Amino acid sequence: MTKKKSFDKKNLSITNERVFSAVKILISILIALIITFIVLCFISEQPLNAIMTIMFGPLKKARYIGIVIEKTIPYAFAGLAACLLFKAGFFNLGCEGIFIISGVSVAAVAINEKLAIAGLQPILCILAAGITGGILMLIPAFLKAKFNTNEMVLSLMLNSLYAGIAAYLVRTFMLTTTTSTVGSKNYMATAQIGYIFEKFHISACFFLLIAVMIVLEIVMNKTKLGYQIRLSGTNKKFAEYSGINSFKLSMVVNFLAGVLAGVGSACHLLTQTSFYIPSVSVVGIGFSGLLMSMLGKNDPIATVIATFFYQYLQEGASVLYYTDKSVPSEIIAVVVGIVVLLISSQHFLRKYREKKLLKEGLAEHD
Amino acid sequence: MEETILKLQQVTKVYGNGVVANRDVNVDFQKGEIHSICGENGAGKSTLMKMIFGIEKPSSGTITYKGQQVHFKNSMDAIKAGIGMVHQHFMLIPSFSVVDNIILGDEPKKGVFINKTEAIKKCQQLSDKYNFELDVTQKVSELSVAKRQKVEILKTLYRDAELIILDEPTSVLTPQETEKLFVQLRSFKEQGKTIIFISHKLEEVKQISDRITVLRSGVTKGTYTNEELSIKELTRLIIDRDIENDMDCFKKDSSIKGNGLEVRNLTMKHNGKNILDNVSFTVKNGEILGIAGVEGNGQVELVKSIVGLNESEYSGSIMVNGVDVSKLSVKQRRNEGLAYIPEDRMGDGTSSELPIYDNIISTYFDREDINGKILMNTNAIDQKSNELIETFAVRCKDNKATISSLSGGNIQKVVVAREYETKPSVMVAEQPTHGIDIGSAEFVHHKLIELRNNGSAVLLVSADLNEVMNLSDRIIVMFEGHVAGYFKDANSVTDHQLGMYMLGASRQSAEEIEGALND
Amino acid sequence: MISIIKGIFTLSFLLVVIRLSTPILFAGMSSFAASTTGIGNIGVEAIMTMSALFAILGSYWTQSAILGLLIGMLVGVLMAMMIAFFSMRLGANPTLVGIALNTFADSLAIFILYLFTGDKGSSASLAVKTMGTINIPFIKDIPILGQILSGQHVLTYVCWICLIVFGILVFKTPLGLRMRSCGLNPDAAKTAGINVQRLQVLSLVFSGIFASLGGIFLSLNYLLIYSKLMVSGMGWMGIAANGIASGNYFLLIVGCLIFGIFRAVSIVFATTSNFPSDLLTAVPYVAVIVVIVTVSIVNYLKIKKGNVNEQ
Repeated sequence: MTKKKSFDKKNLSITNERVFSAVKILISILIALIITFIVLCFISEQPLNAIMTIMFGPLKKARYIGIVIEKTIPYAFAGLAACLLFKAGFFNLGCEGIFIISGVSVAAVAINEKLAIAGLQPILCILAAGITGGILMLIPAFLKAKFNTNEMVLSLMLNSLYAGIAAYLVRTFMLTTTTSTVGSKNYMATAQIGYIFEKFHISACFFLLIAVMIVLEIVMNKTKLGYQIRLSGTNKKFAEYSGINSFKLSMVVNFLAGVLAGVGSACHLLTQTSFYIPSVSVVGIGFSGLLMSMLGKNDPIATVIATFFYQYLQEGASVLYYTDKSVPSEIIAVVVGIVVLLISSQHFLRKYREKKLLKEGLAEHD
Repeated sequence: MEETILKLQQVTKVYGNGVVANRDVNVDFQKGEIHSICGENGAGKSTLMKMIFGIEKPSSGTITYKGQQVHFKNSMDAIKAGIGMVHQHFMLIPSFSVVDNIILGDEPKKGVFINKTEAIKKCQQLSDKYNFELDVTQKVSELSVAKRQKVEILKTLYRDAELIILDEPTSVLTPQETEKLFVQLRSFKEQGKTIIFISHKLEEVKQISDRITVLRSGVTKGTYTNEELSIKELTRLIIDRDIENDMDCFKKDSSIKGNGLEVRNLTMKHNGKNILDNVSFTVKNGEILGIAGVEGNGQVELVKSIVGLNESEYSGSIMVNGVDVSKLSVKQRRNEGLAYIPEDRMGDGTSSELPIYDNIISTYFDREDINGKILMNTNAIDQKSNELIETFAVRCKDNKATISSLSGGNIQKVVVAREYETKPSVMVAEQPTHGIDIGSAEFVHHKLIELRNNGSAVLLVSADLNEVMNLSDRIIVMFEGHVAGYFKDANSVTDHQLGMYMLGASRQSAEEIEGALND
Repeated sequence: MISIIKGIFTLSFLLVVIRLSTPILFAGMSSFAASTTGIGNIGVEAIMTMSALFAILGSYWTQSAILGLLIGMLVGVLMAMMIAFFSMRLGANPTLVGIALNTFADSLAIFILYLFTGDKGSSASLAVKTMGTINIPFIKDIPILGQILSGQHVLTYVCWICLIVFGILVFKTPLGLRMRSCGLNPDAAKTAGINVQRLQVLSLVFSGIFASLGGIFLSLNYLLIYSKLMVSGMGWMGIAANGIASGNYFLLIVGCLIFGIFRAVSIVFATTSNFPSDLLTAVPYVAVIVVIVTVSIVNYLKIKKGNVNEQ
């Protein structure tokens, strides 16, 4: 009986791995918010009001929450793509470029009059974007797996190349004359994805995201593919020694990540835009996805939650900006940056935990 | 004459994780003596030396050097005080020249620059003085293991070390090279230098030492003069029981016949040089074939070629149970019945951040019994891992403990358990007991014999001559990528004979060597 | 196409190459300095961005180009120290720290720029003292050579001086030998009594200084304003050059110059050729891709043929 009790107590103590990481995340967020508040004290006339607006502003109106949800979707897809890649040990930063180049596929299908079939066209758009993303992601994957090319530099250069190609394709084949920047013609009305719950801006894409998240969580923790990803991501030599085909694994993982990025791009474009501007529409989402994955420690569910948290703060900052022009919404980047760095720090708070562990260890010996 | 240069009093070391490495150690070292520290792996020899050399700090107790109590903060302090250490794993930079390796940390200067001419002159003079026969402008990567060790010793001499610690210096040497080393050590002694010699090879300890200190479980079992102890008494002090050296009594004839592994004309080039040169041999079912040789004579490449982890092209055939696997992937080779205990258990053999249950199924994770239709069967994996942990006596908290929380011996047991679980018909064991405690080593040896008795073909590659001689049925010796010698009966060969072939001093004729393939 | 090839063999093109190579060379040195002691600094791009911004701000605050330069360098070193702190002290994966810094440096720069200018795009509204070019007496009068050697930007000269001095430091002095030993075998360095951590921090200081100079060249010396996304991959080009050089200083310089040439191609011919401009901007990135892929294929074939470097 006493044994059971002490066991329960242990589960809630800081020495428990899960409790420890939860505490660590909370403390990281707290530190970030304190730093933000200090910054706000310097730049805003009403710092207290500012921080409160950032933290609770989005709760004021259902529309704000709606914006948070719809913005969460593409960033979460980018985050999930990064989850897969990071977990498998790939530092492929190519999601940014995939978002942009897949946008061209989306636009190509969406402006096509022949495909203007209600219900079908959005699906075709998503498929086109997913396939584009998956296939293009195979380029750095192949070169890395076969020739050990530096994937990080390679994928970043590809991002810039894709941005150039996307601009070229849109300018050459689908240019509209109505805007000053290079943008595509308007999508067919049948291509747009509408809201199912108007009040909270919840579209079918939201359910797609939730479904993908759950499937990924299961794949990564319970399947053979997930096992191989785990092995390869923690020690590639060991995975190869064990007989895992790391070339094949690399192709599969990168393809899936590319598909996720492409689908994320399509979801964003078909719900949030009515035409495609390569230099604006989805820029920055792929890179933010990397941070989202780091926030979520490469766990799909945690990553989606972290993305929501990020977009929530972002919206808080936007709400603040309506009333207080002295605080730009980029302040959220500072918050997220600090939290990411602290969460990635293995030794952060470790000393404290070790002391507790040592105490517990000694107590056990008594 | 009797002058104490170093004195340890009540030295105790407790590591952060609560492990007591040394307890109340009292030893004194006399100037101009060769003093051996004996003990099995994990007895606390290394920790003790690290404290003398300033890498670790004692938890309590005092170290007195030349009559003064010292508190070295790092190895720099120890080096400045005149202590030098030759580490078991060489602390050299292969792409640097010998000179650069020697002067590193204490460079002769000309203005702000390194005075290269003076450095070369000084190092060459030093090398010539002790007959080291080194060209100090050569790159270390071009040197043999024995020469690399000389560079390590030169490093200590360059810094005028009066006390030189040698940590298992003979483990990488042939008997002949060991003798040469001993000649040099004696000449250092004549010059008044003190040598601390660490080894678990007792014959060598008896041969070279003036005095011997025995460590067991971190505690000293006394210091003796060489004459006071026989090897048998020494053994008893070290492990408190007789160890079974020869494993022959455990061997049983297996009913399974035929060749498990057959390697023919394996050839591979590195930088235009034959790193493997027409290597041919067979390992029959129900036997252990041992491969002896100094590190770096092609053993690593041979093993990697057999198991399918080689990145370079090679020619020749590798047959596992009659199937040529030389073009197959690692997975396909494993499916043919191959298993592999790698030398680098942390780098190749495990993933240290993952729990035991993930590590212990890695080579058969897709097997039916631990998988459902879509998902992996967590319960089955749990059961399987617990079962293996029990049979292989892995000491751990539970099957969720990460590999990094285990001791070397227990990690090796996890590796062996996993490879054993696949019921291999060919087992490649590469340095299977390197750096693990005697208990675990003995356990691993028995498991290899068990495999052999059950009809598996076991290829044992080891730099430890005793291990090769005690376990093997037949032995081949590799030198510079070729098979230099073949011995049909492992029991009728001496370590000295093997040493001749390991050094390249002898080489058998092609017909004799063919026996490795055809016997 | 022919016009492009013709255009390459002109003096003015060479001058553009020298100019555009400068930030890449700085970035290459930054990456090289860090990897010498075995630390991978992939935050070069982020450091360049922040230093470029703070040099302009610093110059605006102090109305002195030199002080602006120093403030920019200080920020660069601080960023490098952040990498050191998080990866060496707090045990974060240096690659992740680098990725994180790179991803939020752009937003952070916009944030800071907005605070001081009210503009999120560029520093055009700030009146700053900038750095100019240097005319070297006598040499400037030599035909052709004078035009190449004289009249370049101040930081271009600084760049080449740094290249020579740092090369000597790394390959000819005791400090350099020790730094390289840390990168090649930290355990060996430690047992030789070298404080590995200290040298790694030192090399990150160097790395931060070089990266910051690259960024400052862009803002304070070359374009004379800070504008959003002005570094545009030059930090990564330096990292790529260091990657293919793998410790060979000469190859590092050659790599950076090649990337500089392609940057020049993309800029010089944007106006003069009828090649699609969107694709032309991507030319330098394609050049990097081609070079790193080629080098990796060559290495792959080498290993396959059994030509391996021993460690």
